Amino acid sequence: MTVQTDRTATHDTPPESNARYRSGVMEYARMGYWDPDYEPKDTDILALFRITPQEGVDPIEAAAAVAGESSTATWTVVWTDRLTAADVYRAKAYRVEPVPNSPDQHFAWIAYDLDLFEPGSIANLTASIIGNVFGFKAISALRLEDMRIPVAYVKTFPGPPTGITVERERLDKYGRPLLGATVKPKLGLSGRNYGRVVYEALKGGLDFTKDDENINSQPFMHWRDRFLYGMEAVNRASAATGEVKGHYLNVTGATMEDMYERAEFARDLGSIVVMIDLVIGYTAIQSMSAWARRNDMILHLHRAGASTYTRQRSHGVSFRVIAKWMRLAGVDHLHAGTVVGKLEGDPNTVQGFYNVLREPHNPIDLARGIFFEQDWASLRRVMPVASGGIHAGQMHQLLTYLGDDVVLQFGGGTIGHPMGIQAGATANRVALEAMVLARNEGRDIWNEGPEILADAARTCTPLRAALDTWGEVTFDYTSTDTPDFIPTATPA
Amino acid sequence: MRLTQGTFSFLPDLTDRQIRDQIQYCLDQGWALSVEYTDDPHPRNTYWEMYGNPMFDLRDATGVMAEVASCRTTFPGQYIKVNAFDATRGVESLKLSFIVNRPDREPGFGLSRQEAEGRHIRYAVHSYATDRPAGERYG
Amino acid sequence: MMTTAVPSDEAGVESDEANLDLDLGAALSASPIEALLATLDAELIGLVPVKTRIREIAALLLVEKLRGRAGLSSGPPSLHMSFTGNPGTGKTTIALRMAEILHSLGYVRKGHLVAVTRDDLVGQFIGHTAPKTREVLKRAMGGVLFIDEAYFLYRPENERDYGQEAIEILLQVMENQRDDLVVILAGYRDRMDRFFQSNPGMNSRIAHHVDFPDYTPDELGAIAGLMLEQLQYRLSPDAGRALTEYIERRRTQPHFSNARSIRNALDRARLRQANRLFSDRGATALTRDELMTLEAADIRASRVFEIPEDEGG
Repeated sequence: MTVQTDRTATHDTPPESNARYRSGVMEYARMGYWDPDYEPKDTDILALFRITPQEGVDPIEAAAAVAGESSTATWTVVWTDRLTAADVYRAKAYRVEPVPNSPDQHFAWIAYDLDLFEPGSIANLTASIIGNVFGFKAISALRLEDMRIPVAYVKTFPGPPTGITVERERLDKYGRPLLGATVKPKLGLSGRNYGRVVYEALKGGLDFTKDDENINSQPFMHWRDRFLYGMEAVNRASAATGEVKGHYLNVTGATMEDMYERAEFARDLGSIVVMIDLVIGYTAIQSMSAWARRNDMILHLHRAGASTYTRQRSHGVSFRVIAKWMRLAGVDHLHAGTVVGKLEGDPNTVQGFYNVLREPHNPIDLARGIFFEQDWASLRRVMPVASGGIHAGQMHQLLTYLGDDVVLQFGGGTIGHPMGIQAGATANRVALEAMVLARNEGRDIWNEGPEILADAARTCTPLRAALDTWGEVTFDYTSTDTPDFIPTATPA
Repeated sequence: MRLTQGTFSFLPDLTDRQIRDQIQYCLDQGWALSVEYTDDPHPRNTYWEMYGNPMFDLRDATGVMAEVASCRTTFPGQYIKVNAFDATRGVESLKLSFIVNRPDREPGFGLSRQEAEGRHIRYAVHSYATDRPAGERYG
Repeated sequence: MMTTAVPSDEAGVESDEANLDLDLGAALSASPIEALLATLDAELIGLVPVKTRIREIAALLLVEKLRGRAGLSSGPPSLHMSFTGNPGTGKTTIALRMAEILHSLGYVRKGHLVAVTRDDLVGQFIGHTAPKTREVLKRAMGGVLFIDEAYFLYRPENERDYGQEAIEILLQVMENQRDDLVVILAGYRDRMDRFFQSNPGMNSRIAHHVDFPDYTPDELGAIAGLMLEQLQYRLSPDAGRALTEYIERRRTQPHFSNARSIRNALDRARLRQANRLFSDRGATALTRDELMTLEAADIRASRVFEIPEDEGG
C-alpha cells in the first residue's frame, strides 16, 4: 500500500477537525504529523531521522509519515482517534532540512510526547521509534541519527549498576585507561588452556581479560569449566601482583534462566564482572542490569551485531543512539570504537559516542554528530571499550583520541607477542604508563609519541619487541559513518 | 615480587623530579593531593593511613613534596602513595594515585583455596607482611 | 643552600663575550617587566618613592639574571621584603604587582599572592601552630606570602606566646627555600621597626625595605577622581570643592587610612545621592546626568564636617 501524495498541498493550513477525520487516505502532513510551529516541550522525546524519500515524495510529507508511523498513525483515517486526546499522542515533525552534500536526503526532527512510552523500558521506546517505520514504503532509506531523552524519562531508568567512578574505586585503578585483552583463539580452547591465557595476560600487567562474544557453552568448553579455570587464573594473578584483576565472564545464554544461573555462579566464584552480548536483546539487557545492581557486579556489554544496523550512513540506527539506549538500560562497559584499530570508526564520530557514554551532559556538537543537548541527570557514566586491531605502538594516538576513561583491549596485541603473553601484557602496560607520565609532564605526545615509546622500550625488552613487530601496522580505510557537519575555521 | 598497584608501577621507580611533575600536573587540574602509607598493601586494603589531611588550595608542588619527604623519613620501610582527588560533580573521587615509596623487600601475597561442593573454590589472598605484627613488618 | 657561580651547562660559552646578550635594553624589552612597571605607573596614583624602589628592585633582579648568564657571581638573591606604611597606602596592591614581576622574571614559579595575618599562622593550643603555619606555607609555595601586621606574631609580654613558633618556622623557610617563596612583611612603620629590633634574625633576612608614604591631599583627590570614573560617577563643581575640603579635614582626624578612607567616603556619598534622588523624585524621569552626579550636599552631610577643624588629629 502506497500513500499517494498531493504534492501541491500546502502543509501549513491546519485541517478542519471534521475534514481531518473523514474516512479515507490523507497525507500525513495534513493529519497533524507536521507542525512547523511546534515548540518541543522539555519533557518531549526528540528524534532526528535521516530520510531518503522515494522519488517524487515530498520531504515534508515523508517526515510527517515517519512521525505518524512511529507514533499513532496507520495508513488510513480511523474514527477511534476521536476517542483519544489524539493531538497529544501524535508525534510531530517540526523541522525538515536538506542534508549537506547529500541531495536526496533530509534531516527530520520529530517530537514525541512523554506519555507515548512506558517508563523505564527500552523495548517499548524502540518498538515505537524504530518499529514498523523503517520498512515504510514511502521512504527508500531511513536512519535514526540521534535522540534527546528528556530528564523526565531518563529518571525512569536506574542506569549503569556501577559506573566509571565506582568501577575505578572498586578496582583501585586511577589516572590511566584500563587495559584488557580478549582471549584468543576465539573458539576451540579447552577450559584449562583458556585459563592459562587469562593468567598470563593478567599477571603480565593487564587489568582485565575478556571472553569473546561467541564463547558461551560449546562442545570444546562448557561454561562452568571456563568460569572455574578463569577465576583460578584471576585470583592467582591478583595474588602475584597485589592488584585487583577481572575476567569478563560471558554469561550470554539461550534463556534468561541460563544467564541467571551463569551470572550467579560467576558471583559465587568471586568475579567482579560479568559480560553479555547485545544480541540478547534490550529486555534481557535490562534484566541483567538489575541483576548486576543487586549483586555489585560490573556489567560488560559486547556490541555483537550492532554493525548490521549502525554502520551504513543512509539506513539503520546510529551507534550514538544505541549508546544512549545502553546507558539508560544500564551497562557499565560498552564497546564504542577505537578510531585507529581494525573496526569502523571516524575520529569525530567515535568521540561523539564516547561523550554520550561518559559525560554528565552533552552539548550540541554537530562536528561529532550530536544533534541534541542531553542532560544525563546524574545517570552513572559508562566506560567505553576500545577493542579490535590496536597495539602498543599506537598508545599516543589512543590516549589522545580516547582519553583516560576507557578500556583499551589489546587481544592480538597481547597474545600474539613474540616473547609470550606475559611479555605482551607488560609491553602494553609499560607503553601506557610511560605515555600517561609523559602527557602529565606536559609533553606533546601526539608528535613525540614514538620517541616516548622508544625511550620506555630501553628499559623494557617486551615493549621493544612489540614495537619491532607491530610498529608499522595501521588500518587506514575510509570510514562510512562520518559526520555531516565538518567544522569550518572561523576567520580570525 | 613487585607490587603493581598505582598508576606508574610498571615503570622504574619515579625520581623526585618525576614525582614533582606529576604532583604539579594534578595541582594544575585543581585537584587536592594527599599522602597515605601502609604496611599492609593487600589489594582490598582500601584505607591506608592518612599522612595528614588532603591538601587543598595549593599552587606549587613544593608543599606536597615536603609532605612526601616527611612521610618517607617517618616510615622509610613502608608503602607510600600520593593521591589526587577531584571534587568535580560526577567524579568526586581520585583521579591519580601512584606509589612513591616501597620497602626494600616486598614479600607479596599467598593465595589460599577452600574447596567446596560442585568443584566450587573459595579464594583468599593473604598478605605475607601481616604474618608479623604491625610495626615489625619489613624490618 | 649553595649555588655555584657558573652553571656547568653554560661553561662553554663563558669566554665567548660576543655571544652573550648583555644589552640591558634588549633584555628589558624582551621581558614583560616594562609593561608591568608601566601598568603600575598608570594604575596607581602617587607613590613615587615606592615605584622608584620597585623599579630598582626589578632592575636589580634583571641584572642578576644577566650576570648569571654572563657567568658572573649571582647567588640567588634574597627577595624577602618589608612594606611599611599607614593603612590604605597601597601595600597589598603593590605586593600583588610585585608577585607578578617576580613571576615574570622567573624568581617565583606561580606568582600568586597568599595574604595572611597572625590568626592564619598562630594556633590557640600547644601543637596547633606548626601545622597551621605549614599549611599556609604550602599554599604560598611558588608565590608570595604577604603577612599583614607581621609584628603581631611577636608578643614579648607573653613569653609562651605561640607566635614565636610561627616566626621560627618562617625564618627556616625564608632561609632554606628561597627558590620556593618570597615573604613580604607589612605594617605600620614604627611597630615594624620595633619588631625587627626584637627579631634580628628576621631583620637580617629582609633584603628590601620599602616605605609607603601617606598620600598628599592632591593625590587623594586624584584617587577619588579615578575611583569615580571607574564607577561612572562625577562630581558637580560644588561637590569637587566639598571633597577637597573633606580630604583636608579627614586627613587630620583619627583612623585615617588614605585611599581606603576615600573609597569609604565615596561609598557613603553614593548612598546619600541615591537617597536624595529617591526622596526628591518628581513627575519627570531622572536624567542620565542626575544619576551620575554627586552634589556637594552628598559630601557635606558627612560627620567629618561636624568636628571643628582645630579638634582633629
